[in-house]
Amino acid sequence: MIEVRNLRKAFRNIQAVEDVSFVARDGEVTGLIGPNGAGKTTTLRILYTILQPDAGSATIDGLDSIADRRAVQRRIGVLPDSRGLYSRLTAREHVRYFGRLHGLGGADLESRIVDLIAELGMEEFADRRTKGFSKGQTMKVALARCLVHKPHNVLFDEPTNGLDVASSRAMRALIRRIRDEGRCVLLSSHIMGEVQALCDRIVVMGHGRIVAEGTADELRRQTGKTDLEDVFVSFQGGRQRDPASEKEAVHA
Amino acid sequence: MLDGALTVFRKEVLDNIRDKRTVLLGLVYPLIGPLLLGALIMFVGNMVVQPSAREKRLWMEGAEHAPALVEHLKSNGVTIEEPTEDPELLVRTGKIPLVLVVPPDYETLVAGDRTARVKMIVDPSRLGSIVAIGRTLDLVQQYNRILSKERFARLRLDPEIAEVIKVETVSVAGGRAIASIFLNMLPPFLIFTVFIGGVYLAIDTTAGERERGSLEPLLINPVPRWQLMLGKFGASLVFTAVAVAAALFAYKLMFHMVVLADVGIKVNPGVGTFVMIFVLALPIMAFAVALQVIVATITRSFKETQTYLGLLPLVPSLPGMIMVFAPVTGKLWMMAIPTLGQTVLFGALMRGDPVDPLHAAVAVLSTLTISIALLAAAAHFYEHEQVAFPA
Repeated sequence: MIEVRNLRKAFRNIQAVEDVSFVARDGEVTGLIGPNGAGKTTTLRILYTILQPDAGSATIDGLDSIADRRAVQRRIGVLPDSRGLYSRLTAREHVRYFGRLHGLGGADLESRIVDLIAELGMEEFADRRTKGFSKGQTMKVALARCLVHKPHNVLFDEPTNGLDVASSRAMRALIRRIRDEGRCVLLSSHIMGEVQALCDRIVVMGHGRIVAEGTADELRRQTGKTDLEDVFVSFQGGRQRDPASEKEAVHA
Repeated sequence: MLDGALTVFRKEVLDNIRDKRTVLLGLVYPLIGPLLLGALIMFVGNMVVQPSAREKRLWMEGAEHAPALVEHLKSNGVTIEEPTEDPELLVRTGKIPLVLVVPPDYETLVAGDRTARVKMIVDPSRLGSIVAIGRTLDLVQQYNRILSKERFARLRLDPEIAEVIKVETVSVAGGRAIASIFLNMLPPFLIFTVFIGGVYLAIDTTAGERERGSLEPLLINPVPRWQLMLGKFGASLVFTAVAVAAALFAYKLMFHMVVLADVGIKVNPGVGTFVMIFVLALPIMAFAVALQVIVATITRSFKETQTYLGLLPLVPSLPGMIMVFAPVTGKLWMMAIPTLGQTVLFGALMRGDPVDPLHAAVAVLSTLTISIALLAAAAHFYEHEQVAFPA
């Protein structure tokens, strides 16, 4: 379970995240949605321990992302914003490297890698160096290395970004599988259709704040719109027509 | 306890061994010093120490005016040649090193017990000319002494009357006067190799990894960041050590070949000397790599890092370059300064001078202590949020 409480984070004079609170429960897919610059990636980065919040707290299974950083890192699998690979290592070596960094090793690790390669359909390129990999292949390697330690909580930043239809589908299937195992999934996206198809709960962000939260149906009811895309636009539009809060967001 | 660092270390070594360019450069760079120095010794050695037949030629204008002098020179193995063009022009353009000009009235003056003046046209800005000056002066003065002795004998005087002071030169450098200059060149070359040997790795594993977007995923793993840094540091250190070992091996080989080539410079420091130098160089390797990791961590891009680290090797090499011509005696305070102490120690070892064990110990301990402090600083910088994201 992932819990965020009154999170704040500023970079120089830009308030990236302002008083953000939400919960992502086990056995559910929670979607952070919002336009570029809404604060989704910053929120995720605080959760996956790369950034420190200015105020508020982020906890994973009750563990604090700062105080219990190492324990949190053991319980999360992250597809971060940047997902670069090492061009001179093979796909398998990538997964092995991250497995070892998680303290795994020996036959256990090797069989886990074999399982992951099968699960993600990587057999064809598992022992090829990653130089020249397609976006889909790169994504699979990044997924395999972040899931090697069977994390209970999974944080994916824009998981289908840049993927073709087939790869996006495979990604959605994987996310559902993880959810159905009772694990906690938190993902970010700016594509409404994807969130609608995938997420049990939706957290809408804009200008560093949470502007709405609930299931897709709840959000529809709140706005009176049937299409989630319209729902999304209505929240964003609402904010843009509100110069007072905009000013506050910038100067806070 | 260091599992994380070890995992990173093994991955970085594997990753970079597969990088053919890094490996090739890592092994070619260290050879530049020995090759340059070898060529220099061959070239200068030939010119200075063992004048070959070509070097024993002497150009004379008006040789016909001084047949006795020519005879003397020839009996010393000198071949006399006549300049084909304007002597000054020939010397100025470096075609010949020196022209001895004998005036037409030479024979008359000598016969009349007067002083005959001969001119030497030289160009001291050329090494060949400087060497020829010394040799020609020796030969002419030798002849001068013979003639004055005859004059004094005729006048029944003791030749010593005219010789108030006679200078005798006692060289303590033995046959190594020129050789020691070459030996002194090794320390700055070697310091340069220390700072260049693993630099690509240090940049690539930090600034490069950040730029390729693989640092963020790496930092999410449950490994303390100082261990990630230490693993990368270790890999860069190993590549540096291999480069330095390759350089020392090449130096040893080069000196061996120079001695075999018999250019008159008999220098061939033993294997023990090179092993000792390698051991003393280990702390500065740690020092250099720690500095590189810090620069690669706090700069914003690969390119920026490269700019700084490309200039860095010049600074520690500079004292050594000055010491080529002005070797200093090791003082204890020098040993406390990383690279300076080692430069002095390497020079002493190469020349075969005794090395104070206290000096060696201070150099090792001081540089190690500073390196550990630098590593601690690098670990500190690795904790910064900005490490993963270029500002």
